[in-house]
Amino acid sequence: MRVVVADDSPLLREGVAHVLAENGFEVVAQVGDATALLHAVERSQPELAIVDVRMPPTQTDEGARAAVEIRSRYPDVGLLLLSQVIEAQYALTLLSEHPHGFGYLLKDRVLAIDEFIQSVNRVAAGGTAIDPDVVSQLLGRRRAQDPLDELTPREREILALMAEGRSNHGICQKLFLSPKTVESHVHNIFAKLGITATGDDHRRVLAVLTYLRA
Amino acid sequence: MRAGDEGNALPAHSPPRRIQGALGPLLRVVPLFTAPRLWDHRLMPLSVALPEPGAEEVVARAGARRRASVLLVSAVAVGLGIAAYHVQVQNAPQHRSWAAAWVAVSWTFVIAGVIAWLRRPANRLGPLMLVAGLALAARQLRYSHEAVVFTIFFLLGDLAFALVGHSILAYPSGRVTGRRSRLLVKAGYTTMIVFPLAILMLHGERSELRGINYLLPTRSLLVVSDQPHAAVLLQKAQVVIFYGLLASLVLVVIGLRLWRATPRARRMLAPLLLAAVALVVRALFENVHMFVANSPFTFPALFWWQIAAGLALPLAFLAWMLRARLARANVGELVVELDREPATPQTLRDALARALGDPGLELYFWLPERGEFVDSAGAVASLPVDDRARAATVLEHEGEPLGAIVHDPSLLEEPKLIAAAGAAARLALENARLHAQTRAQLQQVRDSRRRIASAADDERRRIERNLHDGAQNRLLALALQLSAAQRRLGGDAQADPEVDQLLAASVEELQSTVEELRTLARGLHPTVLTEYGLAAALEALTQRSSVPVELDVYGGRLPAHAEGTAYFVAAEALNNVIKHSHAQNASITVRHEGEWLSVEIADDGEGGARAGESSGLQGIADRVEALGGRLEIQSGGSGTCIKAEIPCAS
Repeated sequence: MRVVVADDSPLLREGVAHVLAENGFEVVAQVGDATALLHAVERSQPELAIVDVRMPPTQTDEGARAAVEIRSRYPDVGLLLLSQVIEAQYALTLLSEHPHGFGYLLKDRVLAIDEFIQSVNRVAAGGTAIDPDVVSQLLGRRRAQDPLDELTPREREILALMAEGRSNHGICQKLFLSPKTVESHVHNIFAKLGITATGDDHRRVLAVLTYLRA
Repeated sequence: MRAGDEGNALPAHSPPRRIQGALGPLLRVVPLFTAPRLWDHRLMPLSVALPEPGAEEVVARAGARRRASVLLVSAVAVGLGIAAYHVQVQNAPQHRSWAAAWVAVSWTFVIAGVIAWLRRPANRLGPLMLVAGLALAARQLRYSHEAVVFTIFFLLGDLAFALVGHSILAYPSGRVTGRRSRLLVKAGYTTMIVFPLAILMLHGERSELRGINYLLPTRSLLVVSDQPHAAVLLQKAQVVIFYGLLASLVLVVIGLRLWRATPRARRMLAPLLLAAVALVVRALFENVHMFVANSPFTFPALFWWQIAAGLALPLAFLAWMLRARLARANVGELVVELDREPATPQTLRDALARALGDPGLELYFWLPERGEFVDSAGAVASLPVDDRARAATVLEHEGEPLGAIVHDPSLLEEPKLIAAAGAAARLALENARLHAQTRAQLQQVRDSRRRIASAADDERRRIERNLHDGAQNRLLALALQLSAAQRRLGGDAQADPEVDQLLAASVEELQSTVEELRTLARGLHPTVLTEYGLAAALEALTQRSSVPVELDVYGGRLPAHAEGTAYFVAAEALNNVIKHSHAQNASITVRHEGEWLSVEIADDGEGGARAGESSGLQGIADRVEALGGRLEIQSGGSGTCIKAEIPCAS
């Protein structure tokens, strides 16, 4: 699988590229700013771009804006945004605009290499990867009358994994549960929260996140 | 300097004259007749001599002498009046009321003269009117049967009318200005001494010279030849010259004066000059009476006209003096008024114009840094050149001009009035200057506080960015390398499990360091705030809160300093809620109204929050105030409400 890595820190860029290469990805380009990123995507037509949100020259959201640009020009290229800080609202805005093949992770996640590779694969396959921090921020928020209180700890756990963008299959693997058990949990959760379930995985992510944020 | 100005100008370094007295040495008033390009040249001192510093004793002694003189003069006036009355009633077949009326005119002149003399010793009009009054009484002694008395008072008596004319022309300053007026006065005196002298020399036994309306006694000691016709002819000639020609000329002079006068001067001149006109016109009818047989003017009518106008003249003068006193009382009110409300250039000008009775008055302010005057609207203004339409009085403080009053030149006749008003204006100006200075300094301090606060903000943002882009990235890269190394070793069967553990621990340690740095950076300045604004940052903040928070936050972007301050107010207040309040619920409301951002954090906890030394709340209060905003803390049994108003004009 062809991947472009964009990060203005050469050390980190190299590190990520190395991890990807070791796991069977073909890193076709490593770039340090948004302009170079757009050129690289145009030239090498990758399946996935891993992009640092903050890049020169402004060090604000150059990377994110480049990602939006890539999405509009090359809708098939998966986008995985990495950031030093996670911002739930921003994640949801981007996700609702580009639900297909989109990831938003804290940079630290690259250290848990296996998980990271799973996320990369998911995004490249058109799925979703939302940082657990975003999810826990949303889940951790206290509400005056909270339907989440009615969920069992297990259901909460599964809700969080759904929100991260994992499929039922992914949840089975993560929690070592049978597909049937997971399915029935998911059904219960949706019933308790009053969310209409849809078959589509990334639509499900969006529905869950939107619910959590409301 | 133009050639024509040289006559008016004093040497460039001539010091301004000081006005001393109750107002103290602070006040200096310098009237300017010419407009100086710069402040310090072509000054002209006040026309009226002012007491020099330390002259109080001299003034006091002069006052005592004057009072003694006044007593003496009053005694003489009373004596002369009584004598004139008796002579008229007994010697001439004069009705008592006529005689009394004449004496009344005389005494009115004397009284007006005395009052003027006491009030304004420097003004010669007082003594002039006083002497005219005495002369009017003395004139009637010509009806005496004593030859010596008759001769003396016939010879000198008519000078009384010359003195009255002189008084009219000398009004109101006491000086007769202008060559024509001075000639008129001289001609008057000459006529009134030469003709009586000539008449006395021809006034013999056969003379039919008439007094008021009866024959004069014929006891001239100076008679040379008995020429009755010549005497009568001379008397008629005297009437024509004095009451006809000279009186007409006086009328013309008065008319010209009124015509040329500034509105304020005209208002002041009018009553007195109208009385004078009445008197002079009456003099003209003396001719009609004399030459026109069966003239419509009977003698009694003319007599009472003369009496009425003769009374009106000194009374008008007294009224003028009273008016001037009232004007000075106005200035007293001006001081109170200016003290009560803060003076703006416009209100100060208006108050001065009211107090001085000069609606066209303008107030100029001195700008030391520019070295020029500006008017009350702020436009650059130069002091007027024309000394007949406008005059300028510069107000000084410690040798530095503060401003200038551009006023009606008639005010120069009332130096005390302009000095008092000037002092009031000077105080107000000085006050306003100090206010402006204080405001400017306060503004400087506020500006520097704001700069310091925003510099601190910038610095926090810079450090936050450096942490993310520098240290955190490096640590992550390092952890990634270690992690990669660990994986590689993990594939190697001969690897030391301790090394594996060590590497895993290192990666973990690095990761938690990155985590700590992230928390630190967020505390310094949240990235979310910079990048996504206040609403997002507050949402992220409340997501970490253990107390449920209801958010109602303005969603637009605002200047960084306002967003930063609002965020830290909310963060610190929320921190307080979580730590101390035991609240069940809290709310954060942020509203953007005009140029203000209001941030309100309320909870339903125990209350007791207050800003104190080194407390977090004091810190945010300082921060809000540094931006020119305010922080209010209300804390009681039903919870705490912290409200910050932050200016957010970009």
